[in-house]
Amino acid sequence: MKLARFALLLAGLLAGGPFLAPAAGAQALDRAGLIGNLCGNAGAMGEAASVLTGLAMSGDDADRAFAAPLARAVIDRKLACDDAGAVLTESGLDAVTRTPRAAAGEARTPVLSLKNRAVYELADAALALRAAPTVTQRAAALKTLERRPALIPEGLLDIAAEAETDAGLKVEIETLAQTAALNAADPAARIRALARIADNPSRRALTQISALTADPAYVANPDFRAAVDSATARVERGIALGDVLATLYNGLSFASILFMAAIGLAIIFGLMGVINLAQGELIMIGAYVTWLVQQGLRIVAPSLLDWYLVLAIPVAFLVTAAIGIALEASLLRHLYKRPLMSLLATWAVSLFLMNLVRVVFGTQNLQFETPFYVTGGVPVIGDFIFTWNRMFAIVFAVVTLALTWGLVRRTPFGLNIRAVTQNREMAACIGIPTRRVDMMAFGLGSGLAGLAGLALSPIYSVNPQMGQNFIIDAFMVVVLGGVGTIAGTVVAALGIGQINVLIEPLWGAVAAKVIVLLMIIAFLQWRPEGLFAVKGRRK
Amino acid sequence: MVNITRRSLLQASGLAAVGLASPLSAPAFLRNAQAQSGPVKLGCLFSSSGTMANLEGRLNHVVRMAADEINAKGGVNGRTIDVLVSDPASDWPLYAQSAKQMLQQEKVSALFGCWTSVSRKTVLPVVEQENGLLYYPLHFEGDENSKNVVYVNSPPASSVLPAVDYLMGEEGVSAKRFFMLGSDYVWPRTINKQLKGYWKSKGIPESAWKEEYVPFGFSNFQTLVNQIRAFADEGGGQPVVVLTVVGNSIPDFMREFANQGILATDIPVLGLDMVEADLEGLDTAKLVGHLNCWAYLQNAKGPANEAFLKNWAANVKAKSVPFSGTVSIDPMVSAYDSVHLWAMAAAKAGSFDVPEVTKAFAGLTFDCPSGYTISMTGENNYVARGVFIGSVNDAQGFDILWQSKDTPKPVPFSPYG
Repeated sequence: MKLARFALLLAGLLAGGPFLAPAAGAQALDRAGLIGNLCGNAGAMGEAASVLTGLAMSGDDADRAFAAPLARAVIDRKLACDDAGAVLTESGLDAVTRTPRAAAGEARTPVLSLKNRAVYELADAALALRAAPTVTQRAAALKTLERRPALIPEGLLDIAAEAETDAGLKVEIETLAQTAALNAADPAARIRALARIADNPSRRALTQISALTADPAYVANPDFRAAVDSATARVERGIALGDVLATLYNGLSFASILFMAAIGLAIIFGLMGVINLAQGELIMIGAYVTWLVQQGLRIVAPSLLDWYLVLAIPVAFLVTAAIGIALEASLLRHLYKRPLMSLLATWAVSLFLMNLVRVVFGTQNLQFETPFYVTGGVPVIGDFIFTWNRMFAIVFAVVTLALTWGLVRRTPFGLNIRAVTQNREMAACIGIPTRRVDMMAFGLGSGLAGLAGLALSPIYSVNPQMGQNFIIDAFMVVVLGGVGTIAGTVVAALGIGQINVLIEPLWGAVAAKVIVLLMIIAFLQWRPEGLFAVKGRRK
Repeated sequence: MVNITRRSLLQASGLAAVGLASPLSAPAFLRNAQAQSGPVKLGCLFSSSGTMANLEGRLNHVVRMAADEINAKGGVNGRTIDVLVSDPASDWPLYAQSAKQMLQQEKVSALFGCWTSVSRKTVLPVVEQENGLLYYPLHFEGDENSKNVVYVNSPPASSVLPAVDYLMGEEGVSAKRFFMLGSDYVWPRTINKQLKGYWKSKGIPESAWKEEYVPFGFSNFQTLVNQIRAFADEGGGQPVVVLTVVGNSIPDFMREFANQGILATDIPVLGLDMVEADLEGLDTAKLVGHLNCWAYLQNAKGPANEAFLKNWAANVKAKSVPFSGTVSIDPMVSAYDSVHLWAMAAAKAGSFDVPEVTKAFAGLTFDCPSGYTISMTGENNYVARGVFIGSVNDAQGFDILWQSKDTPKPVPFSPYG
C-alpha cells in the first residue's frame, strides 16, 4: 500500500510539469516563478495551472495551503499583477510572501482564456478537494470534478479518498474514482466503471460507452463485451425515458405559461365578450409590481428578499385587479354595446400603459434576484433536467387553476359570473347585479394577468414590451378552448404547449409556430365554438 | 475578379443613376441652396419603441451628443448641425417610410440608422432612389456595397471569422462542432451560410454542425437548449454555440442556458449580437466566459475611450437620457464615429451634397474610442475597424480576451457565401 502510494506520488510529480523539480520533491516549488506564470501570457498561465493541479496530488501540505487560494483568485479576477509580483486583492496579501501590501503602480488582473478557464476550474477543485477545511466545500469541489472525469489527474481521487475524513464524501469520491477508471488497464475495474456510468445514463455516457466497442478488449474479453452491451442497453433505456419525461415536462411548462397568460383573458372574454388587448400589458405590470416588491424588500426587510416572489403574490394581484376595475368603470362599460370600439379602446390602453412604464422605468430589462427555489435544476434521468424556475411556473399555474376553479364553481360570486355568462338578461331579471359582476369579473381577470406576470418573471426578461409576446398566444388558447370555459383553457394550453414542444425538435421553432396556427385554424373550421362550448344561449 | 466586376458595375450604374437623377432633382438643389444659412440637418432612424427600443433607442442620443461636440467647435462648413429623430417602432417597413420622409421633406444631409439587417434592406432602395446617404453602425453580414450606404462597422471577415478562428484555435477551445442558433431573418441566415462555407473550406464535415432558427421575439428556449445539450453530448470534439438571435431573445436564451447548468467551460456561446446592454438584468456569475466579438468593447483601453465614456455619462446626466450612463456598447461608438466621419467628409468636400461628400471619403481617419485609428479608402464605403473578442465577466460586462493588432482591411463580399 505504501509502495503504491509512493508510486502515485512519483507519477504525480512527473505529471506536475517542468516547474516541479522531479527528483527532490515538492519542497522545491518555485513560488515566485509560479506567481510570475500566473501573471504571464495564456501559455504561461496554462503551465501554472498544471503546477497547481500537480500540487493537489503531490505537494506537501504547506505548498498546498499556499496554492489553495491562487486558482480561485485568478478565476474571480482577484489577483492584481504589478511589477513586484502579485497581490491577492481579497485579502490584501502579497501572493508570494503572504504579507500585507498594496498593489504597486498600475496593477492588472489577468483575464482567463476560455481554454485556461476550464483548467483553472479543475485546479481549483482539485486543490479544494484536498485542502478545503469544510466538508461542503470539498463536496462542491467533487461536483466540479465530476463534470470532467476525463481531465482528473489519475490517482488524485485515490489520494483524496484516503485522506477524506467524512465517510459519506469518501464513498462519493470512491464512486467517482471507479467511474474514472473506464480506461484503466484492469478489466475488472473497467467493468465496474461501466456499471457506475450506466447508473447515470446520459447521451455523454452513451458516447463514452459506445466508443468502447472499438476497444481491443471488446473482442478479446467476453465479460467486458457483455458489460459494454448491457451498459449500452441500460443507458439507451435511460435516455429514452429521459427524453419522454423531458418532452412532457417541457410541454407542461410551456402549457403553464400559456395557461397563466390566457386564464384572465378567458374570464374577461367569456363573461363580457370584451376583447381585452391590454391583457398583455397587465401581465407586464404584474411583473413590474413584483420587481417593486423586491426593491421594497431590499430596503425594508433584506432578510426576506429571497421570498419576494411569494410576498408579491397578493400585491401583484391587487394592483392589477385595481387597474382592471378602474379600466372597466371608466372606459369599457360605456362601450359594451360596441365591441369594435372596446377592442380599439383596450388597444389604446395597452399602448398607453406600455409607454407609461417606458417613461417611468426605462426600456431596459429589469434585474431580478433569483432566489434559491427558482435557481438551476436537478438532473433526473437521461438528459432530463428538472429546472426549478419552470417548476415554479407549473406549480403556480396549478394553484391558480385550483383557486380560480373554486372561485367560479364554489362561491356565490362565481355563481353570479356563470349566470351572467350564460344569459345576461335573465340573470339581471332574477336580481343579479350584472354591472357589479362585470366589474368584479374584469378585476379578477386583470388580477390573474398580474399573477401571470409574477410567475413569468423568473423565466423571461421583464421589460415594457414583454406583454406583447403573450397576447397572441393567449387569444389562441382562449379561442381554441372555447370562449369562457376554464376547462377549455386548460386543455387548449396543454394541447398547444405539448404540440409545440413535439414539433420544435423535428422542424424547428418557426415551423412549429406555423403548424400550430394551421392546426388551430383547421380545428376551428370544424368546431367554431372551440373545444368546450358553453351551453346556453349566446347573443 | 468577381468583386471587381461587380464593383465596377455598381459604380457604372451609380454614375448612370446620378446622371439621370440630377436634372429631375434640380428644384431640390435650388431649395437646398436657399436654405444655406440655417443649420444642416441630420436624420436618425432608430426605434424608441418595440423590441429594438432598448438597444436602438440609445443611439439617437449618441448621434445628438456627437453633433453637439461638433457644434461646440463651430459646426461644419460654417453651419451648425441639427439632429432629427424619428421612431420607426421596430417595424421594418416603417424605417423606409421614415427615411423617405426625412430625405424628401426634411432634406437631411445624411441618415444615421438601422440595427437589424432587415431594416437596412428596406431603407436601401429609398436612399438609392433619393440619392441619400445612410450611415449604418452595426456589424453585419456583408455582401452589399451601395454607394449610398456607409458601412461603419465590420463585415464578417473582420469580426465573425476572427472570433470563430479564435474558438477553433489552440488558445481558444479547439472547437470542432458548431450549433448555430439564430433569429429567422437575413443576417443570421447569411452569417451561417458564410460560416458553413468557411468550415467546408477548412475540411470540416457537414455532420459537425447544426442550424436552428427561431421567430423574432422568441423566448421559450427550453427545448432548444435541450437540443444543444444533446448535440454536445454526441461527442466528436469541443462543441460551441454560434448565437445570432437578436433583441430580447438573447437574455432569455442565456438565462435558460445557465439554468440548465451549462457553463462556458462546457459549451461556450459566441453571441454575435450580444452587447453589454443584453446582460442588464441577468445574473452573469453563471455566464462568465461566454464570448462576443465587436469592433469596440467598453473595457477598451485608451484616452479616446475614457473621454467618450465620460462624455456619455455627463450627457446622460445633463439631458436625463433614459439609458444607463455607465453602459457603452459598440453600436453607440459606431454611431458616434459615423457622425464624425460624415462631418470630416463634409468639411473636406466643402459641401453637403451627397456625391461631393462621397468623393471625400478616401483617406479619412478618425481616432475611434476603441483605441484604433479607423479609416476609409476610396475603394468602397466600408470603414476599417479593429477587432475585439470579449468574455462575459460577473459584473455584466465583457473583459477583452483578444484584440487585433491593427485594423484589418474590410472585405465586403465573402468568398464563403
